[in-house]
Amino acid sequence: MAYETVIGLEVHVQLNTHSKAFCADDTSFGGEPNTQVSVVSLGHPGTLPKANGQQIALATRLGLALGCKINQRTTFDRKNYFYADLPKGYQITQDQRPICVGGDLDIKMGDAWKSIRIHHIHMEEDAGKSIHTLAPKHSFIDLNRAGTPLLEIVTEPDLRSGEEVDAFMTAMRQLVRYLEVSDGNMEQGSLRCDVNISVRPHGQTSYNDRCEVKNVNSMKFARQAIDYEVKRQIKIMENGGKVKQQTLNFDPNTGVTSPLREKEDAHDYRYFPEPDLPPVVLSDAYLNNTNQALPQLPKAAYNELTQKYQLSDYDASILVEDRETLLYFQGLIQHTSNYKAAANLIINRLLPWKQENKSTLSTFPVPSTSLAALIALVEEGKVNSTAAYQNILNALITKPDQAPLALAQEMNLIQSADSDFLSDLAKEVIAQFPDKVKEYQKGKKGLIGFFMGELMKKSKGKADPKASTEILQQLLK
Amino acid sequence: MPKFTSLEQVQQAIRQGESSLEAVVTHYLEQIQASRDLNIYIEVYAEEALAKARQLDQKFKQDTNSVGRLFGAILSHKDVICWQGHGVTAGSKILEGFESLFSATAIERVLAEDAIIIGRTNCDEFAMGSTNETSFYGPVRNAIDPSKVPGGSSGGSAVSVQADTCLIALGSDTGGSVRQPAAFCGVMGFKPTYGRISRHGLLAYGSSFDQIGVLAHSVSDLALCLEIMAGGDDFDATASQQAVPAYSQLLNYQGKAKIAYFDTAINHPKLDPEIRQSSLDLIEKLRADGHQVEAVPFDYLDYIIPAYYVLTTAEASSNLSRYDGIRFGYRSPNAKTLEETYKKSRAEGFGTEVKRRIMLGSFVLSSGYYDAYYTKAQKVRRLIYEQTKEIFQKHDFLLMPAAPSTAWNLGESLADPVAMYLLDIFTVQANMVGIPGIAIPVGTHSNGLPIGLQLLAGHWKEAELLAFAELVLQTS
Repeated sequence: MAYETVIGLEVHVQLNTHSKAFCADDTSFGGEPNTQVSVVSLGHPGTLPKANGQQIALATRLGLALGCKINQRTTFDRKNYFYADLPKGYQITQDQRPICVGGDLDIKMGDAWKSIRIHHIHMEEDAGKSIHTLAPKHSFIDLNRAGTPLLEIVTEPDLRSGEEVDAFMTAMRQLVRYLEVSDGNMEQGSLRCDVNISVRPHGQTSYNDRCEVKNVNSMKFARQAIDYEVKRQIKIMENGGKVKQQTLNFDPNTGVTSPLREKEDAHDYRYFPEPDLPPVVLSDAYLNNTNQALPQLPKAAYNELTQKYQLSDYDASILVEDRETLLYFQGLIQHTSNYKAAANLIINRLLPWKQENKSTLSTFPVPSTSLAALIALVEEGKVNSTAAYQNILNALITKPDQAPLALAQEMNLIQSADSDFLSDLAKEVIAQFPDKVKEYQKGKKGLIGFFMGELMKKSKGKADPKASTEILQQLLK
Repeated sequence: MPKFTSLEQVQQAIRQGESSLEAVVTHYLEQIQASRDLNIYIEVYAEEALAKARQLDQKFKQDTNSVGRLFGAILSHKDVICWQGHGVTAGSKILEGFESLFSATAIERVLAEDAIIIGRTNCDEFAMGSTNETSFYGPVRNAIDPSKVPGGSSGGSAVSVQADTCLIALGSDTGGSVRQPAAFCGVMGFKPTYGRISRHGLLAYGSSFDQIGVLAHSVSDLALCLEIMAGGDDFDATASQQAVPAYSQLLNYQGKAKIAYFDTAINHPKLDPEIRQSSLDLIEKLRADGHQVEAVPFDYLDYIIPAYYVLTTAEASSNLSRYDGIRFGYRSPNAKTLEETYKKSRAEGFGTEVKRRIMLGSFVLSSGYYDAYYTKAQKVRRLIYEQTKEIFQKHDFLLMPAAPSTAWNLGESLADPVAMYLLDIFTVQANMVGIPGIAIPVGTHSNGLPIGLQLLAGHWKEAELLAFAELVLQTS
């Protein structure tokens, strides 16, 4: 029997606010354990939370970018449970009126776009970290992360495979980075997800009971966990069993999911309205301003690149991958209308330069105007593309103030279409290789490329290829 | 009779050279010593208070204008309010030995005006109780008759003023915990509008009900303390940013008031007949003075207590989760695992009443019961809110007994918690709605115990309420 995999995600995004969700503690990553804490994040008696305006602003920003409806009166709730890394014995979250409802994110699968619906987005605070691996009989608690602001994005069960989950998480990471909502760094846990998986026979419209897989902090693990879980569930069904709704832990070392202890799964969180935080009221003006301040989003940029500028899917996908590259491209084409050349230049030269130097495009030394001039030199036939994008560009990187044309002249790379100069060179080549000439004349016309190459060598790259070919063909007749 | 019944008297005595601040503190320390049997204080800051008094005497001598507005005010504070570097235990074993790392905003503000804190007063454990008998540190006794309770939960605060061990006491009022003990002890007790005084540094019981209150012998002292403690605070999102009037300068009530009362309260079957008579006498007196007093209907008196206990215990069950034996406070030495640490530390650290309320609160929030209890109680709160607002659209004040009886015998309430809960029947409305209320002493019962009545006003009407209370006291 053929089965269909049904997946919904709960994505946690750690926001790049300066301070924690409900107090002024620093949120930077990597501090010594328990140094980024205060009486509030430690849950000391008599302390109260205070909502972080930046968290609300970033949640609104992401919500608007995803086309969500923003609840203009949004409230906080408490989720009660005991754990050693949860100082207050409850987490402040949103249950009844989350800040964003609905919306969707489009992912690209091959040539087609697929829309994944968002159920809602809510604001919450993170717990601290429990470390169980440092000593055999003790656990250690680091509360630096306790109270760090998070957004939880809950999707509808619209995903159908590990590939789609991968595409969704990649698109989400791209979006939160575009919006400067989060660094989206999965290794550091800034972006992570719980995966809800169920399997059903093809054609069935209702959903079967799902299993929630926790502790998935990389795309590789997500795919592994999904693969394992799908096989496990199908096996149960094929054996006539029924998959039980439960919470599973994924072990990255073994690639296996296993149920959490019954007790851990039997929480009654006793949600109720957080009495210490008044409702947050967002005005129309606030939403309008936030909306207007949104940057161009990745999908719109992709469409612009492929439609308006006629770039290939490959080029456009690379250029929109991060916002800096997109902005660089958009800046460069202010100075040239050869979009394809501009795209190639960025993809083939600037991005590798950025990677090698572990740098950013904004620090690339050659100004966009010079890059545009370089493109123009090739277009006008004054230098060939190899000379332009290798020799001259390399020289420009060390001497960014120089004009490309002057450099080309200085480096003696201006192509020549002068027929006397070219026919002299052509005659030299013909004289040098009499055997090849005979072969050519006997019909091995492909040798024209060989003659061309030799001519180009003699010209030190300056020969205009088109004119040279014509002259060679003429002389070889 | 107390040596001083207002800050003005203290300041005058010092200004005229009859006394020094050190002498005032010494007087109160002697009183504390003399009243140790009443179990008022959990900790007395004798040396610290004396040192501060000497320092302020010096400051005053150098420049009489250099001292703050609370110069001369010797304060006690309930053991639920934090003072940096000092213990705070909420009358509970679970916080025995715990010292706060920060000061409550209210404490910071009174200290900035040169008040002296003389000690930390006993109270019901986590402010849960109406008789001050649930404290881990033992019950507080009423100074008028030590066989009687002082009321609660701010019982220690009330007796600290009653027994002349300080001039002013800071308490907290979640369902009447300032006003009811004030009535039992024959002093004044005032609870402002919810959000008027920051709760930062107040150990939470029922967060949407809790408010710091003041107990004193004079309305002017209540007004001045309120003026100093009130106002917005970056550490409490529920503290109002509304401007703070100069309450102490606004104590002259002008004109005639419109006063409402509930027939259902005055004729409540549980109300002591002499307290009823006191209420009726005051009503007559006010009418004779030209004020308009009328009975208004109120449909929810009997729903107040059940709804209150559902909502406050729900909030408390969550607020008290942080006392888990992990980071601070009592940790059971008998626990071997994380789960045991929670269970044993809490079972051994909390007293019976606190555990009862945590269990009740956890129950009403449980899935399957939430709507029947929590949601329903919220609806009741909303209805009470609406009808109370309506009353204050047509009336300036609401007159009510402060408690259905005078102070109980020690031990009487522990057998019947529900009867104890009903002690709050007349005070809880103010907390359900968030309005200010004041309990004032109006006389003595034939049993020799004080009788207190209560005046309530609309939201943010503290100035009017305090001025009117002053007028009532002066004319009765």
